[in-house]
Amino acid sequence: MKKLITILALGLTTFLHAEDSLQFRNDSIAVQNDISFSHFAVFLDGGEIYPMGDLMDAVKNTLYGGVGIRYTYWDDVDGIVMFQYAYFKPNTDVFCDGAHQFMGRVGADWKWKLIHPVVLGAGFTCNWTRADAEEKYYDERGSSLNDNETEFGWYARISLPVFKYKEYSAGFHVLWEQLWTLPNRSNMLSAGITIERSLW
Amino acid sequence: MNSFVNKMISVLAVFACSVFASVDAEMEGMEVVSRDDGTFLVGSPTFYFDRVLGTGGVHSESELWTPRKLRYRKLFNRLSILPSWDPIAIPSIWMETGNELGDMIYQDFITEKVDRPKNRTPILEGGIRTPLFHGFWATFRLFQDDHYSYVSSRVYRRFLIDKSFSLLGENLPMFSSVYGGLGYTNDFIEASVLAGMEYIWIFSESSRWIPIKYKPRIEARADFDNFSTTLVYENIEYQNQRKGEFGERHEVNGSVAYNCGEKCKRGMLQLSAGLAFRFVDDDGDVYTGLKNDRVLWPYLEMRFIPMKPLKLDVMFGVNDRDWLVQDSIEYQVPAFERMNISVGAKNIAGTRLNPIADTHEFFDGDTISLTANGYMNLLQAYVYFEDSLTNFIGFGARGSFWAEYGAETFDVKEFVNDTIFTFRHGDVARINSWIKGVTGEFWLKLWYKDLLKFTALTGFERIDGNEKRFEVNPSEFFVSFNADWLIRKTFRISHSLRYRSDAAWNLRSQDPFIVKGDWYWDATFEQRFPKWGLSLAGTIIQALGDEVSEIPNGDSSRMRFFCTAKKAF
Repeated sequence: MKKLITILALGLTTFLHAEDSLQFRNDSIAVQNDISFSHFAVFLDGGEIYPMGDLMDAVKNTLYGGVGIRYTYWDDVDGIVMFQYAYFKPNTDVFCDGAHQFMGRVGADWKWKLIHPVVLGAGFTCNWTRADAEEKYYDERGSSLNDNETEFGWYARISLPVFKYKEYSAGFHVLWEQLWTLPNRSNMLSAGITIERSLW
Repeated sequence: MNSFVNKMISVLAVFACSVFASVDAEMEGMEVVSRDDGTFLVGSPTFYFDRVLGTGGVHSESELWTPRKLRYRKLFNRLSILPSWDPIAIPSIWMETGNELGDMIYQDFITEKVDRPKNRTPILEGGIRTPLFHGFWATFRLFQDDHYSYVSSRVYRRFLIDKSFSLLGENLPMFSSVYGGLGYTNDFIEASVLAGMEYIWIFSESSRWIPIKYKPRIEARADFDNFSTTLVYENIEYQNQRKGEFGERHEVNGSVAYNCGEKCKRGMLQLSAGLAFRFVDDDGDVYTGLKNDRVLWPYLEMRFIPMKPLKLDVMFGVNDRDWLVQDSIEYQVPAFERMNISVGAKNIAGTRLNPIADTHEFFDGDTISLTANGYMNLLQAYVYFEDSLTNFIGFGARGSFWAEYGAETFDVKEFVNDTIFTFRHGDVARINSWIKGVTGEFWLKLWYKDLLKFTALTGFERIDGNEKRFEVNPSEFFVSFNADWLIRKTFRISHSLRYRSDAAWNLRSQDPFIVKGDWYWDATFEQRFPKWGLSLAGTIIQALGDEVSEIPNGDSSRMRFFCTAKKAF
């Protein structure tokens, strides 16, 4: 009966409120098998971003740079967190000189042995943009960027680490991203290099 | 342990998760967005119609007072989890951000004004609860949901308020809340005092959005022995800049409850009791009123288990204005191992579904009575069956018949058009005839260790009666497929694919407001780090389904994405 009451109480709790979303930390087997963060690295990356499709009429190619971390998630999968910045100049006549864009990405890299050393990755991306303008316009094309604008999307990328020396490595990557914008989705391709240092 | 208890445990444990997808809610109290096992129509984080198919009656769950909602927020005459002032129980730090999908970003450079989509709005939450320090802890939480807010803010709401009506940003969110405070926890007591401020838009019986500002709101709680006590002070500011009206309400509310403890729950007769109360002092233009400026609501709960398969529950509350009874009886039919069959009946009767709510709304010289003469009576009988055929598959069904007399409704005297909105004059009333309904639900479950839990669920309801002046005609059927994958014990994918048939609002506009049936798909992807107590999650909501308003005068429910990071200390 005690267990029944406990189950009823748990059921009611679930009904009323979100359950403890961090409950998994109490699973001793999961904790024991968790190898996350057994390796940890920081990296710098930079390159060029190319707008694709109709976005080519909106903004020009531009350079970007950023920092990131890489950590072990599973044996064959690394977790990735990236923060990048780019300044986009318009490719059409709009009120602003350009727009600041910060990009945050969270995803995973799959180290598939079959295609080693090529690494496949994917994840979610969040872009924050704001127009670089002194004055505000409300009805002009692009004026929504007077205020902070944020949009999410997803990315897929291929990385090719070609150089490794002690705790340092470097390589190339190509990344394709799609932002869930309207009236059309926004696609961009970026290519660049990564320099990484393993901390442990 | 005997087989009856075993069966009860397995059935309850499986059923507890059968109708709820594990897709993360965008905010505590917004779980209704990802539910379609009934009629769930969301017009704002602060107003939704939530009725599970099979519960009987024509009211929504948030309209009904029950003892377990003692600490819910009272938003006009409804009871809501959101904006939650329940301190997060786990010492942790968390952050969440998201957006309705469809901001233009650089598409704006190449999009003509006439082709511009409506602006998309974000969501934000951040908070912390510290670890214990000699039993003491501190907490802070800031949360704001800008979804469902854009259209109504542009054409109507922004003209009612002073320049700013949110904590963050330049939108006009339906609520914006911040609080912080201290608590103390040991083996005998859990106590906390929180203070903060809030901006909330409440949806009234006249169909108006009313801005209210809590400054400050202070809530103290103490749970000790088998007692739960709550005391709240609210200074609430009202305004209508368009009409130059201003008002203020000082309110003290709270509750004292004695809950049947562990020893009590082992007995044949289990008793709980409590008192909920509100005292208000209004000054100036306050758009709702409470008769005598006070309400005291004592109640008694009783569970009687004369023999193990039989259970009776009664809740009874009464005061000088209202009474409310909710009771049920359930019998567990002896059956095979792994099989559960139960039959039961429930009854809800009372003068008012929510006896602690305000009694009047004031609208352009009219006084809308929020109470009706007489009483309602809902009777329901049901049969429940579930069989776990093996250790990886199970199925079940539940059927019920219900009848309700005196259901609460609204007598519309006049509709008033204002900008894009329609408001109504009239009074809360009753449908003084029997409404009858029959419901059926069927489910199939598959599970494999902790890798997969899958549920397919469908249900139908047929309602009949001489009068059909329901506020909402519920949807007649639904189907949902929910799956939770846990890969390598650390990566979770939860998703939910659902269809709900048409529903309709009847009394909030001249013509019925039809909410078309549609398919919906939601999904959560979560990286778990058990050793570190860390979670990183991304959730997409309403990836299918047209963007439509689900309540009159509400904003569209749009596809949205949000990501959450949580770290336990």
